[in-house]
Amino acid sequence: MSQPAALPIAEAGEATLRSRSGRPFQISSGLWALPALIFLMAFFIIPLAANIARSLPAEDMFRFYAVLFTDPYYLGVVWQTVKVSAITTVACLLIGYPVSYFMVRFAGRWNSLIVFLLIAPLLTSIIMRTFGWTVLFARKGLVNTMLLGADLIEKPENMVNTEMMVYVGLIHVLVPFMVLSITSVLQGVNPSLEESAQILGASKLRTFLTVTFPLSIDGIATGCILVFVLTNGSFLTMLLLGGGKVTTLSLLIYQQFTLTQNIGFAAAMGNVLLLFALIGMTIQLRFLRRKGVK
Amino acid sequence: MNASVPLSLENVTKRYGQTLALKPTSLHVAPGEMLALLGPSGCGKTTTLRIIAGFSMPNTGSVLIGGVDVTELPPNRRGLGMVFQNYSLFPHMTVGQNVAYGLKTRGMPAAERTKKVRAMLDLVRLSNFEDRSIHQMSGGQQQRVALARSLVTDPKVLLLDEPLGALDRNLRESMQFELRAIQRRLGITSIIVTHDQEEALTMSDRIAVMAEGEIVQVGTPIDIYERPQSQFVSEFLGTANIFDGTLAGPAEAGMWNVRLTLPNAPVVKVAGPPSLRGSSAIRVAVRPERLAISPESTQLRANVRGIVFRGSYYAYELDLPGLEKPIYVYSGEKTVAANDGTIGLGWPDEYAIMLSDGGVR
Repeated sequence: MSQPAALPIAEAGEATLRSRSGRPFQISSGLWALPALIFLMAFFIIPLAANIARSLPAEDMFRFYAVLFTDPYYLGVVWQTVKVSAITTVACLLIGYPVSYFMVRFAGRWNSLIVFLLIAPLLTSIIMRTFGWTVLFARKGLVNTMLLGADLIEKPENMVNTEMMVYVGLIHVLVPFMVLSITSVLQGVNPSLEESAQILGASKLRTFLTVTFPLSIDGIATGCILVFVLTNGSFLTMLLLGGGKVTTLSLLIYQQFTLTQNIGFAAAMGNVLLLFALIGMTIQLRFLRRKGVK
Repeated sequence: MNASVPLSLENVTKRYGQTLALKPTSLHVAPGEMLALLGPSGCGKTTTLRIIAGFSMPNTGSVLIGGVDVTELPPNRRGLGMVFQNYSLFPHMTVGQNVAYGLKTRGMPAAERTKKVRAMLDLVRLSNFEDRSIHQMSGGQQQRVALARSLVTDPKVLLLDEPLGALDRNLRESMQFELRAIQRRLGITSIIVTHDQEEALTMSDRIAVMAEGEIVQVGTPIDIYERPQSQFVSEFLGTANIFDGTLAGPAEAGMWNVRLTLPNAPVVKVAGPPSLRGSSAIRVAVRPERLAISPESTQLRANVRGIVFRGSYYAYELDLPGLEKPIYVYSGEKTVAANDGTIGLGWPDEYAIMLSDGGVR
């Protein structure tokens, strides 16, 4: 894992070390992974372990988890979390796939521009982007003004602080991840495969369903897992655009930390989210290993 | 158009932006014929093939398959078979599924499909490979799967786009013969695109030599090789020694005397059309294996620059005074040069080829 990353340093070090000590230097030495290992231990593994410990209070070990999976309110939140993530993932796929397909097959020299446009929003803070939506959809915002002007509505609609707004915000932020995941795989699908299918009598739709789609499934899986896990973990969008209408685990964690300061319960919820992510990654790894289409 | 012509192109052109990739081109392919589109890269041969397949729309002209105008039809409704340069096998399907793909799109029942797939895999000598994954097949085997996949649907015309380009030399040679044998047995009208002159000579009934977006000469392999019309064709197919000269008057029937532009102006006899007149400039080509060399004195004397043993023959590189380029001679025997290092050079009259001067036509 950490060895390839350490390679360039090792190569650079090789010449100087050899000339100084006159002794051959081993590139494959595991020593070079040590800094990365220490970093991961200190800032990743130990905190995770501590978090697990925190979620298991000594007096009643599984108290928090029991509440989480039996109390109707918290069960509802868990369900809401999965639902929001699933809908966002499907929406990102439906929006993202055509964009990816266009980029790979038709964009040509515009490809790099589209990639830039996709990545550019990611350089802006998520809070800025989220507030941007609030401004657009506010009672006296651009969208309401335009709809009023076009006589499509009679009075300003309440569009902020709705479930819909949460989805808009989430999809906006997460679509690039889906597009980039699918694009990288779709680029490896030779157009002559699609041409082969067509000359063999397949219509455009059939070609897509039997050749293009199955061959891009790895990218779709990667994109879906990515978007699903990222949605699971995001709370700013729910907080700023949901107006309390969409409560997910991550939002609840945020509230537990800042308001009720029930840190053990927050830790338990965090671990449930982590579990979701791990399940997703396991599915994806299985998938990739089985298909492994080069 | 006549329904018995499996494929014809009528004044087809293709323009990419400002460049004319294909000048007005007409081509008729006879039933059961294997026609090679031969030319250097960028000559328009692939463009022509893609227009026939329907992947590219011609700007003008029409494509007829079996006498029916298919210019407006998409590729999936043209009833063609095609083998791509990189085979383009579906990596997520087995060998059997690849071959069955075209039958499936036509809605053939599974039982019948299996039978046809088996028969086709037998034909390409891959009988027990039906359930193999594509990744487990070697290059030559993938090539045969691609061929089986394109033939199983009984296409009206088979298109081959540099089909052997990715194979190594020995395999390529044996596949040339095998592909040709299968094509003959099925009697399927085929077009093969290649830049390899040897492949074109080995595999096709007729060769259409292309250059700069047009067909410059069409004929049988022997025709094209023995009677190239232009310097381009003579040099693209094999090696040619080119001599410049001027017309010096008629010789016997169908032959002309040509005075070569060399020191002491030797006169040679060359077959040519009766329409020639005056003292027009004439370009003459002679194939290296048609040149004869001897230590004795002849009209032309050349200095030996080098001799290379090439297995079945010796290749001589000669300097002929008055000629910038070296002369190449292929001979089965090793001829010793005279004491002054020169060698006599000549050729039988019938092997001199008159070329149109300049250009590719």
